[in-house]
Amino acid sequence: MDRLRSLSTWTVLVAYSLLVLVPLYLMFVSSMKTTQEIYAAPLALPSRLTLDNFVNAWQRAHFSTYFINSAIVTVSSVVLTLLVSLPASYAMSRYRMRWLAVVLVFFLLGLMLPVRLGVVRLFLLMRDLGQLDTLTGLIMIYVGVRIPFAIFVLANFMRTIPREMEEAARIDGANDVQILRYVIAPLVSPAIAIVGIFTAIAVWNDFFFPLIFVFSDENKTIPLGLATFIGQYQSDWGALFAGLTISALPLMFVYLLTSRQIRSGISTGAVR
Amino acid sequence: MSRKTRTPIAIAFIAPAFLVYTLAVIYPLVSTLWSSFFSWQGIVSGDFVGLANFNRLFGNVYLGTVLAAFWHNVYWFVGIMVIQNVGALLIAYLLFTRRRQLGSFTSGMFQSIFFLPAILSPVLVGALWRLLLAPTGPLDSLLVALHIANGPVPFLGDPTIALPILISVDAWNWLGFPLLVYLAGFNDIPPEIIEAATLDGAGSWRILRSIGLPLIVPALGTITILTFIGAFNQFDTVYIMEGLQGSPNYSTDVLGTFFYRLAFGTMTNAGVTDIGVALAVATLLLIFLSAGTVIGLRLVMRRIVQF
Repeated sequence: MDRLRSLSTWTVLVAYSLLVLVPLYLMFVSSMKTTQEIYAAPLALPSRLTLDNFVNAWQRAHFSTYFINSAIVTVSSVVLTLLVSLPASYAMSRYRMRWLAVVLVFFLLGLMLPVRLGVVRLFLLMRDLGQLDTLTGLIMIYVGVRIPFAIFVLANFMRTIPREMEEAARIDGANDVQILRYVIAPLVSPAIAIVGIFTAIAVWNDFFFPLIFVFSDENKTIPLGLATFIGQYQSDWGALFAGLTISALPLMFVYLLTSRQIRSGISTGAVR
Repeated sequence: MSRKTRTPIAIAFIAPAFLVYTLAVIYPLVSTLWSSFFSWQGIVSGDFVGLANFNRLFGNVYLGTVLAAFWHNVYWFVGIMVIQNVGALLIAYLLFTRRRQLGSFTSGMFQSIFFLPAILSPVLVGALWRLLLAPTGPLDSLLVALHIANGPVPFLGDPTIALPILISVDAWNWLGFPLLVYLAGFNDIPPEIIEAATLDGAGSWRILRSIGLPLIVPALGTITILTFIGAFNQFDTVYIMEGLQGSPNYSTDVLGTFFYRLAFGTMTNAGVTDIGVALAVATLLLIFLSAGTVIGLRLVMRRIVQF
């Protein structure tokens, strides 16, 4: 009986693992095959190792440009989000003024708000600010959209730090900026890591805002470039799968390094 | 330091985040509500027209489309609740009850695999499945090779199955997220409670029903609310797999794609837009989602079991 139960446990777990992994396996192997090979034997390994598809996607389909744009936008958004959210979270979790609680609720409202519904007015705002079709415009939007999550995680975490630590620093003559920089920030580094990882994934993956705010090829990020690409290269399947692989690889790599933090971020309630 | 001298520091610390957040999130949403009561010529706003935009939304031109799109969103919500969230719950409970047999390394490995698609963008996942499901694509050739099908299967071109397939792809994308949240909920249950129930002779189904589910109500509630918001904001998967018109024949059209067509136009209609009606859609959806979220939160609060 027990053996039967453990057999069925393994069957379920392995079956769902295959459902997750086989499509991704198909993406990887197909990116190294010719279109004819993909049609003829989808599950088979490529007959010879070639990176032609990747060269096609990277150069002719501008994936090098999309990649650089996505990197610039993601890194800037993560850094700026943390830079503005850290002091705000510090003030709201540490100072004892009553209006701060109201401001915190105002920020946390953004966790549930369907931001996309304001996109028409956001479009007009960005036009007036001269930020249509620019990477800086995208970065500004992402920082604004990601602030509630950052403050939620950071402020929660800061509340658990004993006050004695900063009071000691204060007696030594440190001011608030120094306390935040040298006492609080190092102590909340796990929370900073969680905010950084989740913000990076969300920004790297976002499609909606580039679709609306970016028009020219040289400013497209990877998801928008991918959507354009799949429309234009209908028949070149090898190149399409190579484009998908290029988009997926950086995230898979990050995931390989951080899957433990991601899992603990979700299970400790940071993301819930 | 006294409270008074701290105020300027607090303001300086909060101001940058406050400014960017207000500009990028709050101002657009609030002005969307406000400007849905004005007439729009292209992207130029005109006079106050009261409910005229809302009347046009529910007039002959749009009513059929908006209702169909709304029901597709409802269908999406129900579909994700059933396929993704129930699936995630069962797998999470399996990992929880068998945690000793599996060991933390094996269990962690399965969790990492199951969560993997959730780090990929809906655009990437949608594009991947669009290729895999194409007529004469990999899945089709597999079905033909196994003699299950004998020719090209139009997975995404058949209006009766296109929407369920899109919902399944969305579930494939995100199942790992509720799974980890539910598993964390189960792990928070004090082991004594479950041991006591086991000693009383309760089987694992009985424990799930009488102890597991009541004690993870906060997790169930959070996931349900997030699913609700996500389902009614659905756009990416439909766009990448079926295009802005929700092909075939609007059978996968959702409020997100409908709103986009009104606000920004499509290639085929030469960019003709109707901003006033688009803002009316956004306003109603914003009210609907806020009301749903508040009601959901209250229901969850009432059912939370403390121990």
